[in-house]
Amino acid sequence: MKRVLATAAALVAAVALAGCGGAAGTGSLPQGGGDAKKLVVWDWKSGDANTAGYFEAARAAFAARHPDIDVEFVAQPFDQYYTLLGTAIEAGQGPDVVLFNGGGQIRDRADALVPLDPYLDGARQRLAGWDAFRSGDTTLAAPVTLQGMPIYYNKALYRQAGLDPERPPATFAELQATCAAIEERTDATCFSAGNKEGYGIQFFMSAFGPGILTPQEYDAWLAGDRDWNSPNVKRIFELWKQFEDAGYNNPGVNSTALFNDAFSVFSGGRAAHVIGLISDVGNWKDLGEFLGADLGVTVGPVITDGAAPTLAFDGGIGYGVTKWTADPALAADLVAALTDPQALRVFYTDAGALPSDPGIDTSDSGPVVGELVADLSAGKPALHLALSASTQDLMGRLSQELLAGSVTVDDAVRQLAAADAA
Amino acid sequence: MTVGTASAPARAAELSEGRRWAMPERAWPYLLVAPAVLVLAVFRFYPLLLGANFSLTGDGEQNGQFNGLANYVEIFRDPVFGSALRNVGLLILLLPVAVAVPGLLATFLFLHVPGHRFYRSVYFFPVVLSPVIIGAIFNIVLAIDGPVNVLLGGLGLRPVEWLGDPGIAMFSVVAVHIWATFGMALVIFLAGFATLDRSLLDAARVDGANLAQTIRHVIVPGLSRTIQFVVVTTMIGMLTSMFGLLYVMTGGGPGSSTYLPELYIWVMQGEMNRPALASAASMVLFALMVVIGAAQIRILRRATKEA
Repeated sequence: MKRVLATAAALVAAVALAGCGGAAGTGSLPQGGGDAKKLVVWDWKSGDANTAGYFEAARAAFAARHPDIDVEFVAQPFDQYYTLLGTAIEAGQGPDVVLFNGGGQIRDRADALVPLDPYLDGARQRLAGWDAFRSGDTTLAAPVTLQGMPIYYNKALYRQAGLDPERPPATFAELQATCAAIEERTDATCFSAGNKEGYGIQFFMSAFGPGILTPQEYDAWLAGDRDWNSPNVKRIFELWKQFEDAGYNNPGVNSTALFNDAFSVFSGGRAAHVIGLISDVGNWKDLGEFLGADLGVTVGPVITDGAAPTLAFDGGIGYGVTKWTADPALAADLVAALTDPQALRVFYTDAGALPSDPGIDTSDSGPVVGELVADLSAGKPALHLALSASTQDLMGRLSQELLAGSVTVDDAVRQLAAADAA
Repeated sequence: MTVGTASAPARAAELSEGRRWAMPERAWPYLLVAPAVLVLAVFRFYPLLLGANFSLTGDGEQNGQFNGLANYVEIFRDPVFGSALRNVGLLILLLPVAVAVPGLLATFLFLHVPGHRFYRSVYFFPVVLSPVIIGAIFNIVLAIDGPVNVLLGGLGLRPVEWLGDPGIAMFSVVAVHIWATFGMALVIFLAGFATLDRSLLDAARVDGANLAQTIRHVIVPGLSRTIQFVVVTTMIGMLTSMFGLLYVMTGGGPGSSTYLPELYIWVMQGEMNRPALASAASMVLFALMVVIGAAQIRILRRATKEA
């Protein structure tokens, strides 16, 4: 033991003598790095067959303006994407152009990105969904797709339960009656939910939150003035727990992955509803492949007085430019190519993602897309995207504990208020 | 007349020559180990010092600034890290199981139970599988509608949320880890058995000792060094090699019930962009390993000595 203590003491002394450095190097990230003849793009999409056409179209659009510049798309695994990106940021080198999810993930890394405002030109008016890619007044990325949390439902199960398939529940009482009918007359559960990664609560908050918070509370939340002790905010978490306790969810939510297990439960007709996406995974196209014309879509019901439910949506994924790129204007040109109308059109037709350009014609995709597009005009940004990545992480863990019954709503809200204020 | 002795100047010259050669001779071993020491210093000790150094600096806007023990204060106040430390305690409690499983199975193989050659191969199989594959397999096996729950249903029991219940999930992951890794400890035990003095076993048999007495008084003391080695390496493995399984099977959840320091370090470094905080957690893990390892060796040295 003496030897161990002596070694520890020697280590402490060595550290004390070593002086101080920074884990991420000192000072600002290096500027002017990279290769002026080549641009490297990091994403988690370019390896996907559904988006191959989009990348080809974007590459062609860029090559038309810069034929001598080589573009390399590097597909990273999504579950490690932000870890790898974090390492690149710490090193101050890596890709020139980076794909981001909107919200906390990009805002937390704003220091590593070039403000795009001087380079946006016409895109500012043409594209929608900018809020998810802004930090304060600075635009960090240009949106490629829109992201939102509609509630998809299975019309065949509605018919089986004796419900009107064209009239999804508009109030909480109707939702309860619908779930009771589904439980009584079908073998399916009312909702398909997956919370293994803790994402479930984010989808739940953004789908049902507009029917719970008043418009004033909603706007205040988005503006950063979040009253976690308000009864309506607590109601979101109470309802999350209530759904589980009432047996609305499929069994084993905490050990079911949202992607793609929960979507598979819905697609397989084992649940009547699922909170899905309008971007390129778990969307109308994915789910419609299994359910066809039986796929319906709606927004959350009115749950508290004064609430006016809308489709929560904002920018889905978008491209930003790193500070260490050799030529920010050139990289911004590549971002412009990646949001080129022709490329976005291909992304929509091949992957089903609603594009960030409302001018793109989506009228050929049937009633579900028609309803989604109609809802966009009244939509507001999603509630969970206003939170930082660390608050979302905590919310995910607390949501698991809520389902397991190891934390109360009051305690969860108290912890979230503290994390949000930090 | 003096026979066989050299003159004084000649002796001095010989001594001087001897000294001249003796110095390099003593230096040779140092010279030979120098490359290894250099490699260790550059690639092991220097990064360790660098990590310790980073742990005393800030993250984000404070990057590079000395902030004393602030990171350590923060991680010890973080309930998630607290949960990770409690899980370390749980692993220490479960360590005897992780060592006893390969130890007992190796004893049976050593005693040549029927089919021992077949078992020896089968027990080692999972060791060659990647933790990610093992995690994916057991995600299916332990799913709410998976084979284990179907079996329970057949027995009239309710399904268990093996990976979604905070009170059960850690035990599920540890059980899978033991299943996946005990083959290596088994091989070490078998190697230890090969060095066991057969005459002691024969003597015990002649004296009429039963299996339990043979294990307690002959096998355990005879394998003391092997047991020490397996205990320490198994503990290190449980603390540092469960990341793949945890990441795939639970991601640290539900809540923070399956967090271990290693997963915490990864999340802080990668997802939360807090490298200095992650360095502090790494240093705590390092200190834990040193203390636990030293304590184990000390305890086992006493426990495995035959009175």
